[in-house]
Amino acid sequence: MIAIMFSLLIIPLSGALFVFAISNSRKELFRPIAIAFSLITFTQTVYLLFGEYAKTEFTILSNFDWIQSYGLSLHFGLSGMSTLLLVLTSLLVCVSLLSIGKDHAESKGFVGALLSLQFAINGVFISGDLISLFIFFEALLIPMYFLMGIWGGENRRYATIKFILYTVFGSVFIFIGTVYTAVLSYRVNGKLAVDFETLASLILLESQSRTLFLLFTFGFLIKVPIFPLHTWLPDAHVEAPTAGSIMLAGVLLKVGAYGILRVSIPFFTEGFLAYKNLIAVLSVIGIIYGAIVAIAQIDIKKLIAYSSVSHMGFVMLGISAGGFLSLEGAIIQMINHGITAGALFMLVGFIYERRHTRNIGDFGGVKISMPRYAAVFLFTSFASIGLPGLNGFVGEFMILMGSYNTYKVLTSFAAFGVVLAAIYMLWAYQRMFTGPIKYEENETLDDLNSRETASIAPLVLLMLFIGIYPNFIESFVIQEASLLSETIAMFAELK
Amino acid sequence: MTSISEFLGINYIVIAPTLALLLTVIVLLFCTITISTPMYVKKYISFFGILLTLFTIFLKFGLFFTDGVSSYFSEKILLDEFALVGNVLIGLVLLFTFNSFWQTSEMIENKTTEALILVLMSASGFLLMVDSENFIMLFIGLEIGSISLYALAGLNRGDQLSNEAALKYFLLGSLASCIFVYGIALAYISLSVTGVFDTSIAISYIGPENVPLTTFIGLILITVGLLFKVAAAPFQAWAPDVYQGSPTGYVGYMATVAKAASFIVLARLVAVSLSFIIDQFDLFFGAVVILSVLAGALFATNQTDLKRLIAYSGVIQSGFILSGISSGVYGVSASIFYLITYIIQLIGIFTIFSIISGQLSSDFQISNISGLFKENKYITITFSIFMLGLAGLPLTSGFVSKFILITNLWSYERYILVTVLMLTTVAGFYFYLRPIWVAAVEKTENAVERIQVKNSDKLLLGILAALTIYFGLLPNTLVNITRWMVEGYL
Repeated sequence: MIAIMFSLLIIPLSGALFVFAISNSRKELFRPIAIAFSLITFTQTVYLLFGEYAKTEFTILSNFDWIQSYGLSLHFGLSGMSTLLLVLTSLLVCVSLLSIGKDHAESKGFVGALLSLQFAINGVFISGDLISLFIFFEALLIPMYFLMGIWGGENRRYATIKFILYTVFGSVFIFIGTVYTAVLSYRVNGKLAVDFETLASLILLESQSRTLFLLFTFGFLIKVPIFPLHTWLPDAHVEAPTAGSIMLAGVLLKVGAYGILRVSIPFFTEGFLAYKNLIAVLSVIGIIYGAIVAIAQIDIKKLIAYSSVSHMGFVMLGISAGGFLSLEGAIIQMINHGITAGALFMLVGFIYERRHTRNIGDFGGVKISMPRYAAVFLFTSFASIGLPGLNGFVGEFMILMGSYNTYKVLTSFAAFGVVLAAIYMLWAYQRMFTGPIKYEENETLDDLNSRETASIAPLVLLMLFIGIYPNFIESFVIQEASLLSETIAMFAELK
Repeated sequence: MTSISEFLGINYIVIAPTLALLLTVIVLLFCTITISTPMYVKKYISFFGILLTLFTIFLKFGLFFTDGVSSYFSEKILLDEFALVGNVLIGLVLLFTFNSFWQTSEMIENKTTEALILVLMSASGFLLMVDSENFIMLFIGLEIGSISLYALAGLNRGDQLSNEAALKYFLLGSLASCIFVYGIALAYISLSVTGVFDTSIAISYIGPENVPLTTFIGLILITVGLLFKVAAAPFQAWAPDVYQGSPTGYVGYMATVAKAASFIVLARLVAVSLSFIIDQFDLFFGAVVILSVLAGALFATNQTDLKRLIAYSGVIQSGFILSGISSGVYGVSASIFYLITYIIQLIGIFTIFSIISGQLSSDFQISNISGLFKENKYITITFSIFMLGLAGLPLTSGFVSKFILITNLWSYERYILVTVLMLTTVAGFYFYLRPIWVAAVEKTENAVERIQVKNSDKLLLGILAALTIYFGLLPNTLVNITRWMVEGYL
């Protein structure tokens, strides 16, 4: 199991190096080789899904000394939530490698950056201490910087710098939090031990717990992003290339929520109890605000970006309610949003490659020329809205159910988010696909080809599968959600 | 019976590195004035001189492990951990920058030997500086080193910017030297001591609370003299102009050697001489650190000249290093780690600059590196590694050094410093990523044309980049070395 865990780091990285090593004259080889490497990773993560650590809380499996004289060592481990997110990551890397257009697939930099991004993301999910978590959290930025910076849209420089500066600004707080925790741990243990097992046994004063919760959570919330800190997201999404958007919406946003679930809440629970109402209010504002702004968008990519703000608001609402059901719903919603938002960005990428525009007004009646594409788009939109029977419904329903006991008024408002989602998604669908064809360029658009169908199909199947049989995905998160909710309940009682 | 030489503590091994460099200089000088020696012979002579210096440094380790910390030459020369690490650092800086300064010197017509002699002389001066126990010896070393650097800055006489750099460096540097000497004088007047250890003994004898104001002023002035050399704000004004104007091939050497020597001396000064009264310098050092990082970040953001950008980034890094030095013994060890990793990145960056812009050029705009990725991927990747290291991104040594430093600062409860330093780091991402961006993506009129990269340069950059990554992944050895340095002063 340990070997598989480390190969999740080694294989994507060696894949990236391998792609770099191929000469530029064999351009057509880049994509198959990268897909082969990512398929290996995908198989491994699926194997982990049926392994012994797939349904447990976080278990540290391996550690090594990093800086001995400071007593620092790096820890790696697995848990149910990590395994699910690892599967999601490797699946999205696979399908986005398959989905990208020819000019991206034949650039070794692009393919290599995508694989190194996978390396860093896998690193975040298997980190068992704050240092390695921070290292990989920051290391994410390098491939993202190049993906957005080199292959991005017209205004990419502004968007990239904004994305980097926002994230780095957030990670400074995480960094200071890590240092503070390490020094506190030094006073108890005599070494700077910040692995998750030591932290769980660390007893903090309430003031310390509050400060640390604020430091860590602020950093992670920028990444989520929560309402007033979200402004980097639409810019980043609009300018990022398709594969970058898929990874950004599909996984990178989850890294923030994952950090809160993994670090902020279990170790600094008193801080969480002090600030959870604030987070809940902000996330409900995010849900409504994101949805309303999405309605007004004329750029389909920006629309999906704002819908991400809204959907991630649900995740944060579920987390801040802190009950078993709502936490479970939040984790499931993370996975579901990864699948649907990834699929939506991929679909937008397909049509952008054909028409080189993303303005909703430039389309109209596309259903006639691209019937299969329109069907898939409608299906994915339904999943994103949360139609019962599809995956979006499962997570949002659980979150709303679970949060209602704690926040009656807020949850009632949040429920409007689902209605608003139906408005912006279906209205966009209506404007783009129904009616007569307005512009003649749209008459000759090709429907999805076999490569594109193959890359979207796994996501569509998953939407249906999770929607019909949510038990499967739920079984992986029960243990962690119940542990978290028990911790929260225990601290709430102590108070 | 002890002989006179034993009584005076005369031991030539202790100053052997300095002597080895001086010997090389004399040989080079004779080669020039007596027989016309071909260039490559001079190259081998100077390279052999540097190797000899490194070997003699190795001998000093042997002496240290038998005798321990001790003074020689009637307490003028000191052999301690700081001296050893300082020697190794300066020796390695010479070795790593040899390629650049040799190629630069070769291009300066009729003055190749002169240039080489200046470089080696300055290194011998700085070696003497890190070895000296006595303030006056320290001053002599500092002056030998600095005056050679002033001349190096202006060596390209046809270039107006080079002349300007030399003049500015000389005028401001002399002012700093005056301040330094004045500080020594004041310390001597009030305590009747001129030694690093004597000062600490005298202070502990009269009691830290009875230290006269004159001593404080004297010690602060000595510190200011050293802070000038490392370009900490508000003594940074010379750095951008000198970096910009000097021949690019020399800047890497000039920047690193002065910083290495001055910071080692400053660290020793703080760990030894000021150890009893360091609390009273908090405000002074804190102000210098905050000013340095803020001024550096503020000015670096809008630079269009790459060498000026690196100069201002140097001001920031000086602030970081000083913050550790000024806050306690473990802080000193963290700062030395920071210094070493920073020097590695700096040498790499200036080697790349001189490859791209030509060794003698002075002006070097950011737009000059556009299209670098298309022209040479190897150089772009190593350049990115060095810049990301300066920014402090994980997986590079820059992150580890910042992490250790901030952890130490936090454990010394310097929360304000930590906040300011971390905010500067965010700003740093803006201006460190910009050159990488330009090199990788942007297309401008003055894009990089065909560049010739020698294999030796490739090897050097490979080693430096590998070290940057290595210390980022496995910093254990270097951290242990820097901890060993300060163990005696706990």
